[in-house]
Amino acid sequence: MEQEQRKFTGEGGHRIWILAVLGLVCIGLEVVVHLTLRTAVGYTHIFYILLVLSALWYHHKALFIAGGLVCATLATSLFVGDLTWATILRAAMFLVITWIVATISDERDRARRMLQEQKEEIEKKHYALVGYISEAALRMKNPLEMLRDNLTSMRVQLDQGPDIEELKMMLSVQITHLEQIIGNFRELNREIVEERDEIPEAFREFLTR
Amino acid sequence: METQFDIGRLGQEKLFLVLSSAERLRQNNIRVIKTLIGRGYRVVVITTNQPSAILKKHYAAEGIGMGKVTFIDAITKYAIGRIPEGENDTKFVNSPSNLTDLGIAITEVLNPASGEKTCLLFDSISTMLIYLPSIHISKFIHFVTSKLRLLDVPGIFLAVEKGIDPLLLTQLTTYVDDVIDMDKPPGLLGPDGKSPGT
Repeated sequence: MEQEQRKFTGEGGHRIWILAVLGLVCIGLEVVVHLTLRTAVGYTHIFYILLVLSALWYHHKALFIAGGLVCATLATSLFVGDLTWATILRAAMFLVITWIVATISDERDRARRMLQEQKEEIEKKHYALVGYISEAALRMKNPLEMLRDNLTSMRVQLDQGPDIEELKMMLSVQITHLEQIIGNFRELNREIVEERDEIPEAFREFLTR
Repeated sequence: METQFDIGRLGQEKLFLVLSSAERLRQNNIRVIKTLIGRGYRVVVITTNQPSAILKKHYAAEGIGMGKVTFIDAITKYAIGRIPEGENDTKFVNSPSNLTDLGIAITEVLNPASGEKTCLLFDSISTMLIYLPSIHISKFIHFVTSKLRLLDVPGIFLAVEKGIDPLLLTQLTTYVDDVIDMDKPPGLLGPDGKSPGT
């Protein structure tokens, strides 16, 4: 419903009105020039404006408009009595030109959509990587500072007559923290390596070792 | 929202995020414990940074009676691979990343119907960041704060001031009633005892 409304109010709405006006002009030309003045020369070139625009905007649906113009041309030719091979060829060209423009437009739009999707995919991966790096930094920078302070505190303790058992325990805790930080760092490297194809194999192996 | 440490507000505002510099984390832990015990609270300390055995020694050196402190230790068993002797009064969790066991231990410790005023002290969120992604920590802290609110128990969550990224800090701030900066000079406080902009 909303989409239908947009068709008549937004960019799509303008297109519909342009095509409607052009359609009326074409029918008018058919009636005035062909039916009244009894000549089939020149005016059908105007039809191509309608056909090309509709094919550009609505792709293969424009074939319905081309079909309508073919019917109108053939009907007036039959009525006027000037139906020849040239009339049939002209009518056929309406369909052929519309189909060609519609196919090219369709391909162009599909390629544009694919490019857009690829761009979005790359952006999504990039943001994920940035998020991951900041998370990894959070999980390394601060813990390393805490580790530094714990080690400083242990050094002070050494000056004050150390409790060996306590120091051993504290050292074990710091080693455990460090092991986990190294694990986090390795995980970060792996994520970056998986993301960047241009990193040579030897460096990939080194970073994730 | 940051205010100078004012434990007197524990009655009205129950959950605090306490920020401290890394080098003063231990001293601030002791300062909080002393104040809480002085106010008659039994304190449940969840430690992920220093083994409970060491914390006990530091508390004892500061004249803090161990009868009022219960420990949930998530680092000792993981770091040294065994439980030290004579630590029967402490609950040990296998690893700081084992949030299920940590949650169970908290539930068990907070539930006894002793009638005592109990307060939980979490030391520290920053160390948890070594072992878990911030999203898991945020969810866990949300779980703990919800439990504390249900049980009507106050809680203090220690964190290193500069070690938490703005997103996690914002999330944690929404779970607690107030944020306390332990290292902020008193001169920065306004006439109402709160820092400007609170």
